[in-house]
Amino acid sequence: MGFFHQVLPGIGTKYELETDSGDIISVIFMPNGRVQLYTQPARCPDCYAADLNPMETRRLGNVLTGAIMEAEEEGVEIAFSALADLRIAVHTYIINDRLSGKSIADLDIRSRTGVTVLAVSRDGKNTINPRPDFRFFTGDAVVFIGESDQIRTFEQEFME
Amino acid sequence: MEGIAIALAASVVVALICRRYAIPPIPFYIITGLLLGTAGLGIVETSEVSEWIAHMGLLFLLFTMGLHLHPGEVAKRRGSFLVAGIIDLCINFAAGFVVALLIGMPFYDAVVLAGAFYISSSAIALSSLIDNRKLGFRESDTVIWLMIFEDIILVALLILFTAQEVSPLRIIGIIICVAAAAFACVWKLKGRLRQFFAREDELPILAVFLAVVLAVAVSEVTGVPDSLLVIILGSAISLAAADRAEVVARPFREVFLVIFFVFFGISVSFSGLPSLVILASVIVLAIITKLLSGLVIGKAIHGRVLSGVDIWADTTSRGEFSILLALLYGSPAVVPVVAVMVVVTSCIGSFTGKYSIPIRRWCGRITAGK
Repeated sequence: MGFFHQVLPGIGTKYELETDSGDIISVIFMPNGRVQLYTQPARCPDCYAADLNPMETRRLGNVLTGAIMEAEEEGVEIAFSALADLRIAVHTYIINDRLSGKSIADLDIRSRTGVTVLAVSRDGKNTINPRPDFRFFTGDAVVFIGESDQIRTFEQEFME
Repeated sequence: MEGIAIALAASVVVALICRRYAIPPIPFYIITGLLLGTAGLGIVETSEVSEWIAHMGLLFLLFTMGLHLHPGEVAKRRGSFLVAGIIDLCINFAAGFVVALLIGMPFYDAVVLAGAFYISSSAIALSSLIDNRKLGFRESDTVIWLMIFEDIILVALLILFTAQEVSPLRIIGIIICVAAAAFACVWKLKGRLRQFFAREDELPILAVFLAVVLAVAVSEVTGVPDSLLVIILGSAISLAAADRAEVVARPFREVFLVIFFVFFGISVSFSGLPSLVILASVIVLAIITKLLSGLVIGKAIHGRVLSGVDIWADTTSRGEFSILLALLYGSPAVVPVVAVMVVVTSCIGSFTGKYSIPIRRWCGRITAGK
């Protein structure tokens, strides 16, 4: 397995990884922030390509480093190995019609599931640590923090 | 100014259509110019202002080209870079030279046409590799570095043409002094320059514009062409802040270069153009010799002749540098030939660039069938 990188003048920087099985994966970073990803199976003359914007690149990176991800919703689990292997899961959900118009206090999220609302993103504006009287609306992207069991409980209680 | 407004408005429409169908706009800017100008409807004429803007476009093009000529990166390249570059140069330059002599051009014009015949369009090649998603192929690396080799040959040609006009030793002496001074300054102030170009305010933009205008001023004093000076400046700045400088210079280049292409088309007059048969054979040869050099490079570098088809597909377009050579050094007989060659090869090149993979497969089947 070898990783090598080279500058491609006028294009950007190319990283190429040859896997043990002989497949080749190339990643090209371009100055405009876009990334092109190529895979070339061993002994196959064709390349398969994807062109990603910075957001998509980060999401793909999250998946590759082992985070959970579902269509619109994604999360990461952070392990603090120095703190008795404390694991904290951070997960985002998109608010559905059933929760729309209700406040955090109405839903009683923390006492019912144990998870905390960390931030809400609505129309490109973010609210960090929203107050208990904060009302959700359909389409809000909400970041929850808790243990992964608590996140799962939340998902069963509110999202299904 | 209304001429520039008409030309620019037409270019915006052209660019819009080209982006819609993912084809390179360069040949269509020139065609727009041909239609608007001397050779066509005669609506727009070149003026002092348009010539000045077009000249700035040329200088910004060469400045950003210089930014890609990072001496350290070029020096790191192994033998394959030189082998591919020399094959490309020998086959295409020689062919262009012979063709020019055959159609009855004098020696000096023949060298200019050979240069224009040899040098591919970096702009079209690079955007084809990105847009058609071919950067994963090893052949694409070869194409990219081939463009750099051609840039270096362009610098050599510019020096050659200038030195031939005035006393060669004096001009080469000045070029070496200016280059040494520029590289030494940038090397010494590397850290400061990097910080300076990282600024978010207008200062880096002003500095880049100043650098290019300064090159024009220095050129008037020393007699060294400004085209060479901006390449040297760009290459020197690439030591410190290539990426940022390119981001800053890009808006200037984009705007001025469009004017350059359109007004090149406007200025072309087809009087004195050789017969269509001769012209067509020049163009066919321009495509065939690039195929030939591509195949030889494919065999030499990648061990497969078929790789050459990929290399050919993206290097067959002639473009900005061919026009530059014809405009700066060519006689009125060379300019229309180069104009037609650029338009036709770049249209064909955009097609081959887009369909290079099916073309290679098709070639593979034919050779396997034999």
